[in-house]
Amino acid sequence: MAKEKRSASERFFKVLVRVFPFDFQTNYAGEMAGVFREQRREAEESGGVSATVKLWAETIAGIFRVAPREHWEILKQDCAYALRMMAKNRGFTLIAILTLTLGIGANTAIFSVVHSVLLSPLPYRDGQQLIFIRQQAPKIGQDDAGFSVPEINDYRSQNHTLSSLVEYHAMSFTLFGHGDPERVRTGVVSWNYFDTFGVQPILGRTFQPSDEKMGAPAVLLLSYEYWKSSFHGDRTIVGKTFEMNDKPHTVIGVLPPVPQYPVENDVYMPTVACPFRSSKDHIENRDMRMMEVFGRLKPDVSVAQAAADMATISGRLQREYPKSYPAEAGFGTGASSLREELTHGARPTLIVLLAAAGFVLLIACANVANLTLARMARRERELAVRTALGAGRSRLLRQLLTESFILALIGGAAGLLLAYDSLGLLVEFAAKLTPRAHEIRIDMGVLLFTLAAAFGVSIIFGTLSAASTGGDVSSGLKEGSAGAGSGRRRNLVRSVLIVAQIAFSFILLIGAGLMLRSLYHMLQVNPGYVPQRVLAIRLTFNWSKHKTGEEIALGAKQLLDRAQTEPGVNSVAISSTYPLEPELLSYGQSTTTFQVEGHPLATGAETPTANHVSASPDYFKTLGIPLLRGRVFDDRDDQKSLQVVIINDALRRRYFANEDPVGKRITPNDGKDWYTIVGVVGDVREMGLDHTPAIEVYSPVSQSADARVLLARTIVDPRILATRLGKAVHDVDPQIAISHVISLEEARHESLTAPRLTASLLGLFAALALLIAVAGIGGIMALSVSQRIREIGIRMTLGAQPSGILRMIVGQGLVLAVLGVGIGFIGALALTRLLKSLLFEVAPTDAVTFVSVAGMLIAAALIACLVPARRAASIDPTVALRSE
Amino acid sequence: MTKNKESESYLPLTPAMFHILLAMADGEKHGYAILKEVSRRTDGKVQLSAGTLYGNLARLESSGMIVESNRRPEFELDDERRRYYRLTDLGREVAVAEARRMEEAVAQAYAKRLFRKPGIA
Repeated sequence: MAKEKRSASERFFKVLVRVFPFDFQTNYAGEMAGVFREQRREAEESGGVSATVKLWAETIAGIFRVAPREHWEILKQDCAYALRMMAKNRGFTLIAILTLTLGIGANTAIFSVVHSVLLSPLPYRDGQQLIFIRQQAPKIGQDDAGFSVPEINDYRSQNHTLSSLVEYHAMSFTLFGHGDPERVRTGVVSWNYFDTFGVQPILGRTFQPSDEKMGAPAVLLLSYEYWKSSFHGDRTIVGKTFEMNDKPHTVIGVLPPVPQYPVENDVYMPTVACPFRSSKDHIENRDMRMMEVFGRLKPDVSVAQAAADMATISGRLQREYPKSYPAEAGFGTGASSLREELTHGARPTLIVLLAAAGFVLLIACANVANLTLARMARRERELAVRTALGAGRSRLLRQLLTESFILALIGGAAGLLLAYDSLGLLVEFAAKLTPRAHEIRIDMGVLLFTLAAAFGVSIIFGTLSAASTGGDVSSGLKEGSAGAGSGRRRNLVRSVLIVAQIAFSFILLIGAGLMLRSLYHMLQVNPGYVPQRVLAIRLTFNWSKHKTGEEIALGAKQLLDRAQTEPGVNSVAISSTYPLEPELLSYGQSTTTFQVEGHPLATGAETPTANHVSASPDYFKTLGIPLLRGRVFDDRDDQKSLQVVIINDALRRRYFANEDPVGKRITPNDGKDWYTIVGVVGDVREMGLDHTPAIEVYSPVSQSADARVLLARTIVDPRILATRLGKAVHDVDPQIAISHVISLEEARHESLTAPRLTASLLGLFAALALLIAVAGIGGIMALSVSQRIREIGIRMTLGAQPSGILRMIVGQGLVLAVLGVGIGFIGALALTRLLKSLLFEVAPTDAVTFVSVAGMLIAAALIACLVPARRAASIDPTVALRSE
Repeated sequence: MTKNKESESYLPLTPAMFHILLAMADGEKHGYAILKEVSRRTDGKVQLSAGTLYGNLARLESSGMIVESNRRPEFELDDERRRYYRLTDLGREVAVAEARRMEEAVAQAYAKRLFRKPGIA
């Protein structure tokens, strides 16, 4: 019994002693156990249980006091030693740190984006409770049909799952009283919109119920960005008034910098201040849908429950108002989390980039491990001596890990700087993908990630290099042992590492190659118009002065006449939008449903929907859109004449495949109004070069009264004419606000920003990977040559030709390269599916890309191997035989 | 560095370290004996735990103040698992230097009449 007890406490003591460093245990653990045994015996004899308990307490406290100090001592020694070794091998140190800096830097940068955009909670109070409610009419192609005022009231009063439901819509108004008339993007929102989001103003207050009473004084909230850019952060802004829509508007507060969804606005106003939203028609008509709706879930309610709740209400409304919800439109309402809504567009790109950066880091790890191995070959004797002097194997492992950790830590710190430096560029990039881009920053989470990456990296390459020494360090002491034992094992590890590097590089190169080819396709695709030398100027008429269609049509006509007289202008046009307009891409195109006369819809068939563009007569000439049949608009088409439209070729192919559409009529509203088709024009890629042209209907500005853009085709660089044309606009009407002056080429360029940056980043990562891998394969062949000088000498003495030696070395390098490419090929086939959603007219398994990347990689490896191979072939056998 | 200066560079010693050196002043001892000696000499006021003892022994050994002794007691008294340690010249000098330092401090305390009970001057 006593013996059992003894052995149990002895075992426990032995476990305790494990907290000491390994060397310390080797030296003193046995003795300590002996001393403790004596102490315990004494305590049991003299004081019994209480003395034994006290002894245990003191012993445990003593061990935990002393052990950290011992570890710290060893760490100090190891660090000092590692720094000495690093200073001695400057070349190695520099290359290793540089490789790790690039690897860790790339990951830190991409991770900071992923962390802020995909992982962080929304910067709103309890952001997970916020949802986006969407009414859809999929059968008429309406992904987001919006809500009307009566609908909003119904959903607000009938739901059981939301603590609040708020509306939003965006308008453009002209703001007077602050320099030139300024077009401001305006968010029109419910009074409790910001309370629902939990956003507190940084100056002043947000809206309150009294602001939403009919006839209340008009008030404005400024967005942080607008306040900064247009008012230079003026802290006395609250209380100032500006004129908008013929009414004084008082600034009541400034919002903090939060992501604004669906688009960024300059100012916000309550619903009653918007002349459209507060009109009788909008308030009463269930079919006037233009609002977006957000909600906050009640506590413990899930998004799915809310979605079900919304669907129930939708069903009830459809039964109650069948005229507003025609069955053939397929109306339905659902809900999704706001976070998902804000980030789903960015997810695929970011995941691809994070994976790519991860590959770069793995390649960097393999490369540094390889460098370390090459250095280990030279340090073999040193390590053997240290072992002979009594350093245990785990002590050596610890030393190597300390060295690698110091390297990785320096690389990590430099990588962090690199990431910090590239943050501006990344924010700009991410802004193309998600409204959350402004939240991107390097915070504690990113710092921890970098530290973890550095730690993980050092463990990977430290262990790899230590493992390859095997158990048999002492063989290093024997003379001429460089090629034997652990050396062979090390060469095997190095070869495996090289193959891995080549494989990863191959995958990255394929990714970059596919993106580049996709981008090339986008640049090559015929956009359907001629973007060169066209200037676009966004206009906003002062709505209160141009209330009727006639007034707007007249204003547009005057503008065109004046602009046409500017020297250097070839032709001018006014329209509602233009192809690839940045705002169009974020707001979406305006659409119209239509039916063709004499083509009744089959029961259950979807009502066709077309994009709708208003255009003045010279729109097609100015943009270079070809007229295929009939005529374009002219001065005869006005408010009093026959209502006319022009359709695009896609619409003709779909609905007039076997007949001439000119002279036929279409109706947008079940035959209430009829529009005669007077012409057919070519298809235009309005919504993106990678989007197939949609079917499209054009109306004359003179009839549709929708004039928002002045377009001018110029003889010279259009940017030169920007100021003069702006002045011409104000000559006609000084109350027109001008914004977004941009050439159509710039607009096209901008529409490609996201794919171009993705391709560039992937390309950069792939180039880094290629460089590291090719340098690696050259390096291992060079080392192998220098290790085999004697063998090569013997071969040559025995009659081998230099060309044979050359072939042998190059062949060995190529085996590694081909193996790597083969493994990479399989990996790429599995992984490029991730890219699918980002590619345009390129299959993820595109044969051209796969074959050319494989060829390029093998060619690069061949060149890298040629240098050491030529050195081997030029060896003088007599010298080689004497060498060691 | 002169010997004097070298030994002084280790000062001041921790109380535990000083007591351990002191315990070895009259000959080599094994760990448990050192522990007992320290406890006995300080009337149980300084009780070293096994961890503290060997942490200090490791420090003293690595800085060369003590070494493992080859001399062992007579066979029947010996326990082969025990290691015996003895002071090196350096260890003795450091112990002396520490004792001197304390002596000076005590002398100064006397000079300041610290040991007199405070009263009316």
